[in-house]
Amino acid sequence: MAGASLGALAIGQMLPIKVAEAARLAGLIDVNGNGYIPTMCEMCVWRCGVLAKVENGRVTKLEGNPEHAHSLGNLCARGQAGLMNTYDPDRVLTPLIRVGQRGEGKFRQASWDEALDLVASSLQHIKDTYGPEAVVFSSTHNLSQVQFENLLNAFGSPNYGTQRSLCFNAMIVANQMTYGLEEPNRSYEGLEYLILTGRNLMEAISTSETSILSRAIDRGLKVVYLDPRFTKTAAKSTDWLPVRPGSDLAFHLAMLNVLTSEDRYDHNFVEQYTVGFEKLAEEVRPYTPEWAAPITDIPAETIRRIAREFSDAAPNALAHNGWRTSNFVNSFQTQRAIACLNALVGNWGIHQLPAAAEGAGLGVPPQPPYPRASAMRMDGVPWKYPLVPFKLGVFQELRDAIITEQPYAAHGWFIARQNPVQSLPDRGKTLEAMSKMDFIAVVDIFLNDTAWFADVVLPEASYLERYDPLNVVGNKAFIRQPAIQPQGEAKSALWIYKELGQRLGLQDFFQYTDEEDYLRQQLAPLGVTLEEVREKGYAERPEGEENPFNWNTPSGKVELFSETLDRAGFNALPTWEEPPRPPSGKFYLLTGKVGRHTQFGTQNNQLLNKYEDEPRLWINVNTAKALGLADNDLVKVTSDVGEVNIKLWATEAIRSDCVYLTPGFGHLSKGLTTGYGVGASDSVLHVTYTDPVSGSQALSQTFVSVTAV
Amino acid sequence: MSETTSNGNEYGFLIDASRCIDCRACLVACSVENEVPMETTRIWIQETGVQGEFPNLARFSAPYHCMHCDDPSCVSACTVGALQKSDNGIVSYDQDRCIGCRYCMYACPFQVPNYEWKEQLPLIVKCDMCVSRLSDGRSIPACAATCPTDAIIFGKKSDMLVEAHRRIDQNPGKFIHHVYGETENGGTATFYISPVPFEELGFPTAEESSPAYFNRLVTHGTPTVAGVVAVGLSSVYLTIKHHAEAMAQGNSGAHSGNHAGPKEAEGAVQGTAVPQNDTVLPQESERQEV
Repeated sequence: MAGASLGALAIGQMLPIKVAEAARLAGLIDVNGNGYIPTMCEMCVWRCGVLAKVENGRVTKLEGNPEHAHSLGNLCARGQAGLMNTYDPDRVLTPLIRVGQRGEGKFRQASWDEALDLVASSLQHIKDTYGPEAVVFSSTHNLSQVQFENLLNAFGSPNYGTQRSLCFNAMIVANQMTYGLEEPNRSYEGLEYLILTGRNLMEAISTSETSILSRAIDRGLKVVYLDPRFTKTAAKSTDWLPVRPGSDLAFHLAMLNVLTSEDRYDHNFVEQYTVGFEKLAEEVRPYTPEWAAPITDIPAETIRRIAREFSDAAPNALAHNGWRTSNFVNSFQTQRAIACLNALVGNWGIHQLPAAAEGAGLGVPPQPPYPRASAMRMDGVPWKYPLVPFKLGVFQELRDAIITEQPYAAHGWFIARQNPVQSLPDRGKTLEAMSKMDFIAVVDIFLNDTAWFADVVLPEASYLERYDPLNVVGNKAFIRQPAIQPQGEAKSALWIYKELGQRLGLQDFFQYTDEEDYLRQQLAPLGVTLEEVREKGYAERPEGEENPFNWNTPSGKVELFSETLDRAGFNALPTWEEPPRPPSGKFYLLTGKVGRHTQFGTQNNQLLNKYEDEPRLWINVNTAKALGLADNDLVKVTSDVGEVNIKLWATEAIRSDCVYLTPGFGHLSKGLTTGYGVGASDSVLHVTYTDPVSGSQALSQTFVSVTAV
Repeated sequence: MSETTSNGNEYGFLIDASRCIDCRACLVACSVENEVPMETTRIWIQETGVQGEFPNLARFSAPYHCMHCDDPSCVSACTVGALQKSDNGIVSYDQDRCIGCRYCMYACPFQVPNYEWKEQLPLIVKCDMCVSRLSDGRSIPACAATCPTDAIIFGKKSDMLVEAHRRIDQNPGKFIHHVYGETENGGTATFYISPVPFEELGFPTAEESSPAYFNRLVTHGTPTVAGVVAVGLSSVYLTIKHHAEAMAQGNSGAHSGNHAGPKEAEGAVQGTAVPQNDTVLPQESERQEV
């Protein structure tokens, strides 16, 4: 590809250098012909379409697939660096069985048969001794999760941990209560006014949405951005509002106040398609901009101006839900207020659209009915959290229940594509929960922090090496297919779950012979062959002519007043809940994304590491001065549950009562040779606080002190 | 003075600092596409840093790589013809000819060429517009192809310049009224537009005429190698001294990706123009503020 002159570079000089070494060590990879293979990114959950350039059995470049609505031909830094995950010399390429103490990182290589037999017999032993509920299953947002859920349901355990309560429970439950769906699709076409509540789209990149937003700004879209930090999104916004953490709710209640009290709402939409408007108007009457100003630190006239501009732009106005707005225990109310605000400007069907269900219109392998759950869930769903969907759960509560052994004890933990040691708040507690386990198995491509403490590690094929179930985006079902053969003995999750199912006597639940057979069964209703889809990258699927003005709520309308919330004993209307403030001498601890990383899984990527900054603790320059600290000083950050040391970045770009730490760093596993020792872990510091309605972990409700080391 | 004249077939870039979000997708894409060693880079980010006082803040950035000058100083400084200006506008680099003298690094008024300091037989590292992509049908360099915000676009050089002016004319309040690269160093094939003065992005204020003419007098016109080196270096020295002074005035630019860019290059010319070993060795990279 590089022509004659670059071709003279020996393989050892090629970049990434360790890629070449890894490729050499792995031996020659089976060649599937040089060229481009359409597949799907897995560097975050946005799942852009990629075209993998393959030369001599190696992926040498990834391009954004112009035919995929999530990439629009582009990829972000993570997507571009994706091949480095595949060629990372830290890959686990054979099954591993622990030989030292847990956490020592001493493993021996094992065959698949030995490792799978050990996992199956250990899980079966726990099931026979304590019941299936004594095995906890947990996995994070991935395309094979459907078969992971199949395994846990067939096994009969009700205990399922996802990352969703650490991320977007508040948004999803609020949308379900208001619109009867998890999250609407958004259209920026013709949009004139956008409010982003902590949605840092220029750094928490979803390629197409970031592209579309950028183009919209270029054509004159007004963007109001609420964030205590001056992020890259703030830099592109019309108004940056450095709101006090936890008070976004007050801002949105004041927006609702202006729209209702000044008669600035869409009468047609409200009368025809919503329930509870009068009650809402009554509820928000006290929440004037003047009321909100001292709470939010946003001047009343600014709030009033924005409310008027927002309603003037209706219906071409949108309040974005945000993603990880689950920052305080009042975040559910914030999400409800945002959902109602959108209803008042009547943007449904224009800028908020119904989204197709996952896997809609695809075939599924036949299977018998699942056994009845053997016990109540440990995470309190639904007996403590009646409105939290089973698929979401309350992961931090599950972890705490493992420690307290209430309502019962768990003895085994099967974890796939997830790193709870880094993702759950209060890492000390998570390690304690793991120490209570008789047996832990982890499926991953790396020895991540959780795998470091496992008894068995099952090496998964990377996303460039395997099939996954199809992914539906709009009227297309996209394929993830191997661009190269798996390195070493790595295997797909579809294969691993099926093999485990067979060894657990659950083969009837896994009626596919291999990954390709699974995909053929998915494609059957579409009348397309796998070969066509492999070549094209997707299958067309008929889109239903659904009436967007038909909401899956009890009333069939948009519920400003929610009967469901009322009956469950929660506030049926968005209402003010005062969040705690840091005591004197302490700061709000904020986290948030950077454009090079996704959660906890990319810090070991050498290419991303090459172009990432050293993670430092943001602190306002004046605050630093008052503390006698200077830029780049090493400081100790202390919360109620832990402490870390990290360098300071003294900057104007953050409120004086906040500090910010890039999440995902501070890895414990020495099996991550690039990421180990870089930065500090936010999960060490985070205190566990759960929103009683949505089960969300309140990620900014942790207060810390900062002192010189 | 210029040896090259436009033939209408030259490629060019337009980079818009109002659109760049500093995501660094272009940096990673370039590294992968061109197999750039880990410790160096062909492209990096120049940025203003956080400007102003809370809460009245601004921040801009732009990817930065070879300008592909019309009359490149590096080409004229190269004694062995490893650097060439092609008909399609690309300032190309032939590693088989390169002797590793690094004159190009000192000659470049934009301080673009990097060096593989850690390799045993180090080569120069610089943008070649992904010439391999242009020839294999992918038609667009890796940086421009992946940019999620269209901050980098690529096409016919003349079209890029027209588009640059169109954007300024259409939005005179948004951009400063200068297309960087149009006249700098006698004209280049990389054009920048920006809402803030280019010095605030840490861009060198390059002379409007290229010093290449003087470099050519010595590198191509003097019979002995010794003479070439002696006179060539003094010419280079003058060029660099000027840049160092220019850079010293208000360069707040930061860089991503281990680049010995403008700021560090000041150290390279202190007191002498003779390339000292490792004078621009990227130490700990000046990592960009998060």
